[in-house]
Amino acid sequence: MGLVARVVEAAGIPTALVSTGRDLTAQVLPPRSLFVNAPMGNHFGEPGAPEQQRRILTAALELPWTVDRPGAIVDWPEPWHENFTDKVRSTLLAM
Amino acid sequence: MEPVRYVDLLNQRYRQQGFPPYDWTINAETPFCPPTRPLEDCRVSMLTSGGVAHCSVTPWNPTAKNDFRLDEIEPATPGTDFTVNDSYYDTADASVDVNCVFPVDRLRELAADGVIGSIAPRLWSGFMGRIYSRTRVVDEAAPALVEELRNDEVDLFLLVPA
Repeated sequence: MGLVARVVEAAGIPTALVSTGRDLTAQVLPPRSLFVNAPMGNHFGEPGAPEQQRRILTAALELPWTVDRPGAIVDWPEPWHENFTDKVRSTLLAM
Repeated sequence: MEPVRYVDLLNQRYRQQGFPPYDWTINAETPFCPPTRPLEDCRVSMLTSGGVAHCSVTPWNPTAKNDFRLDEIEPATPGTDFTVNDSYYDTADASVDVNCVFPVDRLRELAADGVIGSIAPRLWSGFMGRIYSRTRVVDEAAPALVEELRNDEVDLFLLVPA
C-alpha cells in the first residue's frame, strides 16, 4: 500500500496513509503518514466510537496541509487502552 | 507501549510457513506533491487493503496469493453492509464496525459537514496481503488505479493498509 501511495503521489495526486505498523511504513516511506499505535485493523480506533474515528480520520486527511517534509510519519498522540504486542504476535504466528 | 515490530514478526511468519526470506522494499526518498486547494474543496477517495467487501459480493479470501482483485465501493454504502476477511490482523472489531479500518460512515459525515469538499464516486478495496510481485504493483496495478482516480477527479487519496 505504501508502494501504491508513492505511485499515486508521483502521478500528481496528494496522498495520506494511516499506518499501524511504524517499522513497515518507515521502510516503504509513503509520501506522508499518520501512525496510530493501535492493533492493525483499529486504524481509526475502537468500534462504536465515532468521535474517535472522526478525530483520527480528520487528522489523516489534514496531513497534506500539516506536513511539509516528504516521508514524514506523524505519531497520533492518543494511546491504545492496553498493550497488544502479544495479541499481534499470536495472530501473525498462528498456523 | 513501543510500536510492534512487524518486520521481525512477519519474517518469522514467512519462515514458519516455509517461504524464502521476504525481500522488503526500503526507500530513502519519496515522491511529494503538495495540495493545490484547501481540504474543504477536495474530492476525497479512499483505499483499504483490510479485506473489506460489500456484503453482496464474494468475501475476500485471506489465504489467496497475488490476488489483484480490486473492488469499487459505492460511497453511499452504509458501514453495516460489509464483510471483513483477513488473516494478517484480528478482524473482530472491524467486523462489528467497519469504520475501524474503512471509515465510510465518518467520511460521509465530514462531507456533510463541509470538512472535505466531496467524496469521489468510487472508494476502493484491494491490494490485500500476499502480493509478492512488486513490479506488478508498481508498473501495472497502481498506475491502472491512478487512471481511475483521474477519471473520478480525485484531489486527495487516503490509504489504509492492513
